Amino acid sequence: MSPVAHGVIALLPEACTSCMICVRECPTWCITVESHAEQVGEPGARRPRTVSILDRFAIDFGLCMYCGICIDVCPFDALEWAPAIDNSAANRNDLVHDTERLAGWRMHD
Amino acid sequence: MMATAGEQVRAYRLAAEPGTRVLVASLGLACCAMEVESAVRLGLLRADADAADPSDRTVLLVAGTVTDALAPAVRAIVDELPAGTPIVSFGACAGTGGPYWDAPTVTKGVDQLVPVAQYIPGCPPRPEALVAGLLALPFGVAR
Repeated sequence: MSPVAHGVIALLPEACTSCMICVRECPTWCITVESHAEQVGEPGARRPRTVSILDRFAIDFGLCMYCGICIDVCPFDALEWAPAIDNSAANRNDLVHDTERLAGWRMHD
Repeated sequence: MMATAGEQVRAYRLAAEPGTRVLVASLGLACCAMEVESAVRLGLLRADADAADPSDRTVLLVAGTVTDALAPAVRAIVDELPAGTPIVSFGACAGTGGPYWDAPTVTKGVDQLVPVAQYIPGCPPRPEALVAGLLALPFGVAR
């Protein structure tokens, strides 16, 4: 078999800032990002910083066009191509893969 | 004259598991038809020269965009197969409508016509993903 370069899209959750750029640029709207805001207080700061914490990142591979636009637009390189091909499913809903599965496919840390 | 449904099916065998007979609904539904062809070129699917054996595990592969206009042709192919033949959808369009999820003339997945036993995602799926999906297929599941 030939080497698979574009098998699936993997996630590096630590790099994701929940900025939603991938979600908005996706032509098929197959990405779901759920996050919440937390306030980070720093000593001496005039006011606390608000940061987004990623709760869930999911890609519906049933809709995904594998175009890679999400990978291109991510400012933090939190998405990457991975060679896995084991994402078929017997149930349509099982084509939605979320954070842990997406992270398990990644090639880099 | 329109070809009969039987003439619109091509038979292959999975090279990795020759007991798996793959009938491909040869309707030329969009680009995924080319990707199935590439699996043949890579030798992952082999043209089936043998007669069907009772021990064969036969599946029907539907690859590509099923439009509402072509849906009856897909249905006719399925109706000519023995009951219980698992249907495998290949590609985002056959699975869910894919990029055409909001198009008025596209069937939002072949499972709107017939139950699907295995969905192979991709736009298009890799030929290797086709093999992996067929190997993962739970045979014996009634449709």
